[in-house]
Amino acid sequence: MVKDTKACAKDLPEAALVPSEHLRFMNRFTVTRADMCISCGLCASLCPYGVHKRVEGHVRILPPDDRRCIGPSCEVNYFFCVANCPTNSLSVGPSETFASLGDPRWTSEMILATWAMSETGRPLPLDHPGNVGASGGGFDKLHFKLPELKGKVDPSQICTAIDLNRRDSGAKIRIPIPIYGGGMSFGSVSAYTMLARAKAAKRWDTFTCTGEGGYPELLIPYKDHVITQIATGLFGVREESIQRTRIIEFKYAQGAKPGLGGHLLHDKNTPEVARMREAVPYTSLFSPFPFHSVYSVEDHKKHLDWAHAINPKALMSVKVSTPNDVEMVAVGSYYAGAHIVHLDGGYGGTGAAPEIAKKNIAMPIEYAIPKVHKFLAKEGIREQVTLLASGGLRTALDVAKAIALGADGAVIGTADLVALSCVRCGNCESGRGCPRGIATTDPVLEKLTDADWGAERISNLYGAWRLQWCELLARLGMTDISELRGRTDLLVHGNSQPKEASK
Amino acid sequence: MKYERYHIPLKSVPSRIAPVPKFVIIRADNCINCGKCEKSCIYGVHKRSEVDLRKMADPVNNLCKNCFRCIQDCPQRAITMMVGPDYKALGRGLWTSLRIFTVWNEAETGKIPVFGAGYRGLFAGPGYDGMWTDMSEIVRPTRDGIHGREYISTSVDLGSRPAWLEFDKAGQLVTDMPPITELQVPFVIDTTRLRAVTNAMKTGMARAAKHVDSLFFAAPESLPEEAASELNGQFVPVYPEGADVRKIVLPRGARMAALTLGSTWREDAKRFKSMYPQTVLAFRVNAGKDVEKRIVELVKSKVDVAHVLFDEEGMELDSGEPRYAKDSLRAIHKALVAKSVRDQITIIAGGGIAAAEHVPKTLICGADVVTLEKAAVLALECRDCITCSIGSCPANLGDAPADWIENRLTNLMGAWRDQLLEVLGAMGLREVRRLRGELGRAIFFEDVERESFSDIEGGAGNG
Ligand code: SF4
Ligand code: SF4
Ligand code: SF4
Ligand code: SF4
Repeated sequence: MVKDTKACAKDLPEAALVPSEHLRFMNRFTVTRADMCISCGLCASLCPYGVHKRVEGHVRILPPDDRRCIGPSCEVNYFFCVANCPTNSLSVGPSETFASLGDPRWTSEMILATWAMSETGRPLPLDHPGNVGASGGGFDKLHFKLPELKGKVDPSQICTAIDLNRRDSGAKIRIPIPIYGGGMSFGSVSAYTMLARAKAAKRWDTFTCTGEGGYPELLIPYKDHVITQIATGLFGVREESIQRTRIIEFKYAQGAKPGLGGHLLHDKNTPEVARMREAVPYTSLFSPFPFHSVYSVEDHKKHLDWAHAINPKALMSVKVSTPNDVEMVAVGSYYAGAHIVHLDGGYGGTGAAPEIAKKNIAMPIEYAIPKVHKFLAKEGIREQVTLLASGGLRTALDVAKAIALGADGAVIGTADLVALSCVRCGNCESGRGCPRGIATTDPVLEKLTDADWGAERISNLYGAWRLQWCELLARLGMTDISELRGRTDLLVHGNSQPKEASK
Repeated sequence: MKYERYHIPLKSVPSRIAPVPKFVIIRADNCINCGKCEKSCIYGVHKRSEVDLRKMADPVNNLCKNCFRCIQDCPQRAITMMVGPDYKALGRGLWTSLRIFTVWNEAETGKIPVFGAGYRGLFAGPGYDGMWTDMSEIVRPTRDGIHGREYISTSVDLGSRPAWLEFDKAGQLVTDMPPITELQVPFVIDTTRLRAVTNAMKTGMARAAKHVDSLFFAAPESLPEEAASELNGQFVPVYPEGADVRKIVLPRGARMAALTLGSTWREDAKRFKSMYPQTVLAFRVNAGKDVEKRIVELVKSKVDVAHVLFDEEGMELDSGEPRYAKDSLRAIHKALVAKSVRDQITIIAGGGIAAAEHVPKTLICGADVVTLEKAAVLALECRDCITCSIGSCPANLGDAPADWIENRLTNLMGAWRDQLLEVLGAMGLREVRRLRGELGRAIFFEDVERESFSDIEGGAGNG
């Protein structure tokens, strides 16, 4: 256990306000003004949120800016526009547009909350609906039994850091928050998106990962915070990129398409991408599955030894998905020399994958974590392994739940993209790629994402999450996030969040 | 002999009716026709009007992909979006709007649905939605991908295999070799339970079955002359309960025939076998309480195939407490294995097969073959209206031509087979026969909930 809590909460980045005009389009409510309106301007003088506006010299009042409206609950206020309008022209109700955003896993509330945290860096209250999805199972059915907060939370007194190397030998790497960014290849996302993630990783002294599409030069200044991934396709894997990194990640499988290798549909394989991957432009790239040099656990060890010979200083991470025998795979990886065992569950993100694979192949991460955690403990090697979970961890609370189930920390992907304004529309794979300029290499679309702006937003999100963990730990009477690991006794499984702790 | 690798040729088969848009874009009156949305939308939803270039045309809703860019970019905040009301109204129960939509697309393109971003649906669900298939980190059926040079077989046999062979002193085989028929895909088309079937549908579906080397099930006299003569062995006549077996005249070359389980089934089976010893005999059995016992009985009477029927939702038909097909089939498979007779009967499962993933899941639970019923009609753009009658069909199924039907179904089966290959590939299996009853290669909701969450308050098996 860490003694020096103070030191571990020192020098963390400050939040800065990074608003985005183009994320302001969304609100839960719509305000409609009917034709009977006589443009008297009464509503404009009443609503303190600035929904109604009348411009001097214009005959008609402007259309309502419903992004600012607080909704029907406003009716208790004396200024409620609907009740005051002399011609009964106004109505306020839920927005259809809002209802078209999101899905059961990433609800519209969750997307909006993530945007708000990325904008302000302020934490979401732990009982806010944006913390949990509506998928009806897994993390969405697990809740913390939280006692009321006594006194104030002092984040400087709470340690959220984790060690990435728990073995006796090798470099010690400690990251101040229990997460790092998962692999997203150049090709599946734009260079600017990668850069934004790398900048945020540097700020938080944590990591992001190259994914399997090679190591773009513009990430070299951030090399201490970029993990080099070696995936089955070996696209763009070079000696230099292995030597430059502090962590090497072997990707055996990816949760969203376990056992299927990688997909990059031809449109997205632009000349830039192809150069990096040493492939022919505009051909579909399928990264085969599995590693052609690995037929057994012994081969797997050879594999790690080979990487170790090229870069003896780097830590080894092994990323696997979640088959029935995931615990054996984890133990095998440890004996082969892995420092980090990274489990990637089926419900996570991806640039392109067959729908049949996402839902149906391999188990959700929620099941795999306790399985592996308990098995490693039984083998007596739990304290030598850093167990990281990914694949469908969307919020700070998901991360905390994963830790309570037995992981040391988590790897984050989609939440980074949502911070960059992803709406989860699922079009990343098609044609020119993401219409919002995140998961694309289209020369026009990719300019929609500015790397510095993006870095600020991701950094704000991490900051907000850290404050959420701090409050959670404080309420549980803990000062260090490692105390939370494996505490399934703090969780309750059910449909609704328990109102109060049961003790 | 020239080696020809089995594959299903696919081509785009366009829709016959106006598409159902998933999202509807509404442009309010305060639009100033600035044209910004046209630039924002990379899918071409917003276009200027062709008659009056000063105005914007109505949005082409079915092209909208829910990216919200036009909405955020419109200076007038004139654009709103809603989930299409027709799309929302589509489907019920197991047959969700998304599943119906997916079948339409598969039948149109023949392609596997591939999207970006992660899984977006519910965590788990009843029946087949409460199971996951296994994968292997290193074992692979072939080393060059599932579409590479090596071959993953999806062929299955229908019929009984003797448990052992007997020879006389002279070394001559004395065991009666029961008839067996091979299909290239583990699914067949069954029209007997469909609500409305036209002749063109029968002809088209029958040809599609022939096309992919599968089977087509229908009432004996119902197949149009022309189609029947093309089909020969691929047509499986299905006789209703109480049909007089003595009067049965099988179509020429029939490889298989199906009777329906009734009170006289034992005599019927015997009589049929003596009349047509070279034809595979199937009995249709409604799934229900003790169905496993009835199927063990069928084996004793040397019936080759049991066609187990579930309802549209994949639930047992004859039972006060119906089980899901997933559980019912597992019980059947286990009962047959316990009696050491599993290979002496083939199990066809029908009902509740609503998506490609249901094929491997049904096989894992113990079936050898599944049937396409409702899915086959959905492939023809059926909207599964409660008030189905050919007269007012929004998909105009009444006048759908046979060749269009054939191609749509071929596409659907091609897309489903390719998805089956994905699952087999991930599991490291080289042939679909090995999938049958591989219960250890699946992850069942009840089991993992118990294993992983039993020490959590309120978790399965806790308090
Ligand atoms: S309902 Fe309230 S917040 Fe909304 S526009 Fe009217 S006065 Fe403003
Ligand atoms: S295409 Fe849609 S889901 Fe994919 S990154 Fe862009 S906004 Fe997100
Ligand atoms: S961007 Fe808005 S105002 Fe401009 S044409 Fe489109 S809908 Fe009209
Ligand atoms: S939401 Fe996106 S896809 Fe739909 S019309 Fe607007 S810009 Fe086009």
